[in-house]
Amino acid sequence: MSMQALNQLVARSIVDPTVVQSFRSGQIGNVLDELEFTPDLRAQLEGIESDSWAEFAVISYRFVKAAEMPAPRIELPSPAEGLFPDKQSQADQEQVA
Amino acid sequence: MIPVSREERHWFLRNVARALQDFSGVSEPPVPAEDVLNHPPEAYQEDFGVVDMYSNLWDATFARPPGQRGSIFVRVDLDPEERRFALARETLCAMITSKHGRDLGMPDLLMSELKDSAAYFATHYLASESLVDAYLAQGGDEEGFAESFQLPKAVAADRW
Repeated sequence: MSMQALNQLVARSIVDPTVVQSFRSGQIGNVLDELEFTPDLRAQLEGIESDSWAEFAVISYRFVKAAEMPAPRIELPSPAEGLFPDKQSQADQEQVA
Repeated sequence: MIPVSREERHWFLRNVARALQDFSGVSEPPVPAEDVLNHPPEAYQEDFGVVDMYSNLWDATFARPPGQRGSIFVRVDLDPEERRFALARETLCAMITSKHGRDLGMPDLLMSELKDSAAYFATHYLASESLVDAYLAQGGDEEGFAESFQLPKAVAADRW
């Protein structure tokens, strides 16, 4: 959703000079308010320091992309692992005996 | 300007293409690239224009005489598809060097890889993801792709 909002913002800036005017006057927050960014991302984007609008756009892209990446899943072993004997190894032991 | 990856630059260019496509108001191909040059967004009124020329040197090139309106000079004898692609490609050059393009910081982002940027932009301007998705949803296939989008065959093959 935020990437969609960012795409909308960048596309709008290409034909609408008021976006870059807001950026240059430190008022980009007002433009961000019109789009559907999460509150965290909105705060991050508003805090970006950059030399130009294009640079702002690229840094925003990095933030949004990172925010939309799925959190890595940590696979923990089952707590039951090792409590129950493995049927095959039990059979092997019986055969040895 | 911070270092920017090819993927990031291409993302930016897809949004440039989307802006012009949205401006043209089309929902199906072909995108009227030459009409947009003749009736551009207000921010580019002083930068878009098309002049036919007789030349064997280039297919098209953008030029801006000092203090005057910029124009794309395009060979008169190009095939319609080649002409569309060349005009779309040079549209990006016009945008980058325009006052608004400079205000956006486009030269710093795109000038160093201008050839790749212009070709990528032109391909995605004339065949954006949304238009290609709609074409596929309507049962469009590879054979009819170049004709529907009025693209040069090599460009269509790359885009497909």
